[in-house]
Amino acid sequence: MYGGDEVSAIVIDLGSHTCKAGYAGEDAPKAVFPSVVGSIDQMELDDPDNSDKNSGSIPDSKSVVRSFDAEKSKGKRKLYVGSQALGYRRDHMEVLSPIKDGVVVDWEIVESIWDHALRDCLLIDPKEHPMLLAEPSSNTQQQREKTAELMFEKYKVPALFLAKNAVLTSFASGRATSLVVDSGGGLTTIAPVHDGYVLQKAVQSSPIGGEFLSDCLMKSLESKGLNIKPRYSFKRKEIRPGEFQTVDLDFPSTTESYRLYSQRVIASDIKESVCRAPDTPYDESSYSNIPMTPYELPDGQTIEIGADRFKIPDVLFNPSLVQTIPGMESFADTAASVRGLPQMVIDSINKCDVDIRRELFSSILLSGGTASMQQLKERLEKDLLEESPQAARVKVLASGNATERRFSVWIGGSILASLGSFQQMWFSKSEYEEHGASYIQRKCP
Amino acid sequence: MEAVVIDAGSKLLKAGFAVPDQAPSMIIPTQMKRMPEDGSLDDLSVAEEVTVDPVVRGYVRDWDAMEDLLHHVLYTGLGWEMGNEGQILFTDPLSTPKGVREQLVQLMFETFNVSGFYASEQAVLSLYAVGRISGCTVDIGHGKIDIAPVIEGAVQHIASRRFEIGGIELTNLFAQELGKSNPLVKLTTSDVEIIKEQYSCCAEDDVAYQKTQKSCQEEQHTLPDGQVITIGRERYTVGEALFQPSLLGLEAHGIVEQLVRSISTVSSENHRQLLENTVLCGGTASMIGFEDRFQKEATLCSSAIRPSLVKPPEYMPENLSKYSAWVGGAILAKVVFPQNQHMTKADYDETGPSVVHRKCF
Repeated sequence: MYGGDEVSAIVIDLGSHTCKAGYAGEDAPKAVFPSVVGSIDQMELDDPDNSDKNSGSIPDSKSVVRSFDAEKSKGKRKLYVGSQALGYRRDHMEVLSPIKDGVVVDWEIVESIWDHALRDCLLIDPKEHPMLLAEPSSNTQQQREKTAELMFEKYKVPALFLAKNAVLTSFASGRATSLVVDSGGGLTTIAPVHDGYVLQKAVQSSPIGGEFLSDCLMKSLESKGLNIKPRYSFKRKEIRPGEFQTVDLDFPSTTESYRLYSQRVIASDIKESVCRAPDTPYDESSYSNIPMTPYELPDGQTIEIGADRFKIPDVLFNPSLVQTIPGMESFADTAASVRGLPQMVIDSINKCDVDIRRELFSSILLSGGTASMQQLKERLEKDLLEESPQAARVKVLASGNATERRFSVWIGGSILASLGSFQQMWFSKSEYEEHGASYIQRKCP
Repeated sequence: MEAVVIDAGSKLLKAGFAVPDQAPSMIIPTQMKRMPEDGSLDDLSVAEEVTVDPVVRGYVRDWDAMEDLLHHVLYTGLGWEMGNEGQILFTDPLSTPKGVREQLVQLMFETFNVSGFYASEQAVLSLYAVGRISGCTVDIGHGKIDIAPVIEGAVQHIASRRFEIGGIELTNLFAQELGKSNPLVKLTTSDVEIIKEQYSCCAEDDVAYQKTQKSCQEEQHTLPDGQVITIGRERYTVGEALFQPSLLGLEAHGIVEQLVRSISTVSSENHRQLLENTVLCGGTASMIGFEDRFQKEATLCSSAIRPSLVKPPEYMPENLSKYSAWVGGAILAKVVFPQNQHMTKADYDETGPSVVHRKCF
């Protein structure tokens, strides 16, 4: 039993695309950064002296600050975490993600991400704050035990709790029963929540997420001849007042993964500002005449985007559209087995007990970065009305504020960790020492 | 009695009564020297000159020293009487840990027994000083650089960035460069600081900087102890370091690039508001030629995301950028305290220091 006092809990949500961390009780996370890291194999390089990252270490005013938290030279590689460190191009730097298909494969990277969030961004000592971590709705027992072990052994936190993403989103909207459609960067998960518990057998997931859509957009633009230049590959010069010239810089030892990563960042920005979910299923002929929207790339080039504005978001509803995008044929096979969003929602509800189906239909929550796309809510509602049983009243809810939708899991965690009645539910260090990591299954259902 | 506004920086502490259109009445260095307890200095060469820095990189680290410093400032400098303490407003840098703020509150109410307390973030205050509530602040201080987009008085933490580099690194760079060109002259850090403030400047742009590296006018400067040094192209190197951090040995982008990236993280509907109201503040930002160079680099960005600097109002004192956070604090103090939105002793006694997070943001 850990009695939380005035000490603030920390809420961390490590997603497939971004990691969100902050104090409980606040209405937005303080630290938001990509959950991928740059890694350089140590073999030939000498130790670089310092980097531009924030450092929570005791500073030495006479010499340049040395950060020893965000750089880990364990084994044979150096990791660079955080948006500032990743934003700087380095030779031979590969971009690695710790999560594959929703499962953590590389715990060292996860450790370095947590280090960066806690020590560099929030500037706290994990020993003094209980931690609330958000986990995917279909997390395995082994992963949970490893998380608990890591947190208690390495960070020596006083107390821990693991909560499922879907439950936290439900809390954020103030409901105990709902169907959560979480469309994030890496994947889309549909999970029904009943009285605060996820119904595991009805959870559906699909690999189509925000990153997939950005890739589609990138390939689609490339097929039209529009090349997205990553930020580091050019430099603007002013030759005469008012006239600018873009000079291409060549960095031959930049890795392919970094180049893709930088391009994807720009493609995501295009997608967020320009794309809208279409009102009706996408059809080549009907959308061939719409006016084009201009978008200015960082290098000054202006591109026009027309039908792609509506085609890309429609991939969520109709994955077979992927086959029509040149360059994405490799996904055609996986896309064939993936169903569209409305279909997955119906499937998920049908797997639940008949009694709660009605309640689930009338409280469908949207969360995640991709869910803040314009018109997505209306389109989903419309599609569901067509396919759902006659008697059901379909209502899709999404908070109006785009930031709230993006961080709804984190916000739910913030609410949960600051509730008075929650303070006795923490999995405390003493319980861990007494019963071991497997006790977590009992404490955090 | 007017409220007191204190802006404790890593190098200078600005304090004064809240009279908005004037500069702070006390601007003293934060660094202090520790003297031996009994006060006797038999042998001056033996007396340890231990310099104490209560504020490091913007955050208070040495609480005892801070207490002494504040004691001096409040009672001796500003003329408060024991037993009749007034209200006080503090400025915080970006990402101040909750614990640090709570400790400050505790210090204020327990040791100094103030009647009212308020704390606000420096980024927001600098904007108030130029008459805006939304915009982007670039605060280049002695110990740190903060880039913070602010929308309607709320700092967007998601997009704000903090760098642990500042005037100190530039001073070290300057000392290094001068050491290379004047090997026989012995320089102390404080000497270099003074020279830096007097001579350092920014080249007009990249091309001009390259030119100065090849050939530059040299000037002679006499140090207080009589030594003479020549300062040539090093003065431009110091200014250039902010735009090309590789000169400091760091793997980072220049300051304009960082600003642009920070703003692009915010949702695009607010971009124009932030870009048109960019404020430069902090001691290092008042370097000769810095603003022009900043503006020039800014025009090189794509037109969708081009920052433009804001002009401070005419009724504000000269050199506003050096203490814009203090002036903003004075403006805020005039609003907050009379309307009783601050934290009082009763609040503190009832709930404890953590109530500061609810009352002051």
